Amino acid sequence: MKRQFLKEIIKKKEEKIEFAILTDLKNGERGIFEKNKPLSSDFDKYKDKIESEFIKKKSGIIKDTNIFIETYVLPITIIIVGAVHIAQYLINFAKSLNFEIIIIDPRSYFATELRFPNIHVINKWPTEAFEKIKTDENTALISLTHDPKIDDPALQYALNNKFFYIGALGSKKTHENRCSRLKKSGFRDSQIKKIFGPVGIKLGGKSAPEIALSIIAQLVEEVYKKK
Amino acid sequence: MKNSFNEKILEEAKNWIDTNKSVILATVIETWGSSARPTGSKMIVNEEGDFFGSVSGGCIESSVIKECLELLKENKPFKKIEFKVSNESAWEIGLSCGGEIAIFLEAIN
Repeated sequence: MKRQFLKEIIKKKEEKIEFAILTDLKNGERGIFEKNKPLSSDFDKYKDKIESEFIKKKSGIIKDTNIFIETYVLPITIIIVGAVHIAQYLINFAKSLNFEIIIIDPRSYFATELRFPNIHVINKWPTEAFEKIKTDENTALISLTHDPKIDDPALQYALNNKFFYIGALGSKKTHENRCSRLKKSGFRDSQIKKIFGPVGIKLGGKSAPEIALSIIAQLVEEVYKKK
Repeated sequence: MKNSFNEKILEEAKNWIDTNKSVILATVIETWGSSARPTGSKMIVNEEGDFFGSVSGGCIESSVIKECLELLKENKPFKKIEFKVSNESAWEIGLSCGGEIAIFLEAIN
């Protein structure tokens, strides 16, 4: 591998561009695959196979070739609505699991730098906050305020924008009420069912870190289910 | 969860090269059965035998380092090595997980 090639990879990582490193295991040639960019002639004949592995986010030797592909896929972003006590534990789990984190809370006494050091906190109402965030099928939403004024607009946004995972904190009763509000706002049952509510797997714990653990465990489970 | 964007092994390789060290990059390219680290796992080795990252759960690192140093001595650009270990003899050779693993070694120059 040329030193220049190493620098190129590091630059792409810094710019957070999704790409794949290609290696011809027969002759040691290296190449970079990026969506909608031309491939070097060594790899161009396998373009379709390379693209299909890239879409599947896979790394490995491509079948019937000597090409090793290593895909660099951006981490999942978790948007947490509610800068509450549970969120403080949730971000620690999320950080060690390599998720990106954004917190939204319009209440300035919750959304403080002191409570969430070095975290991207948006101190705005969800509708306004989402204007500033890029979301896609690699984004998860976890609403934690159980205040309809704050949670509902965020949940509605997520339902309309193909989020990877949507979870909402609250008791069974709270969740039933939430579902009927969403129904009244025009969402279909099939859409509302996508919300994990009450959020988290059943661990039995009631403390803030225990609830945070049950939520993050469910999210990880969903990541591997959808692979 | 594994995310290649957060791994800093290639960045460390660049740091080593910047201090004029020769660096070999070892990448797991294929695994069979149970193996400790998934495909794409990396380790770098320099001429002094320092290493960073991993290609297994500590089972075969020493052999991989030896192979990397040989590659440097022979001045070869790359090499593929395999570790095939059965369950019974796994403890002798090192891959106690009983898996099989292929690693691509490559000099960065």
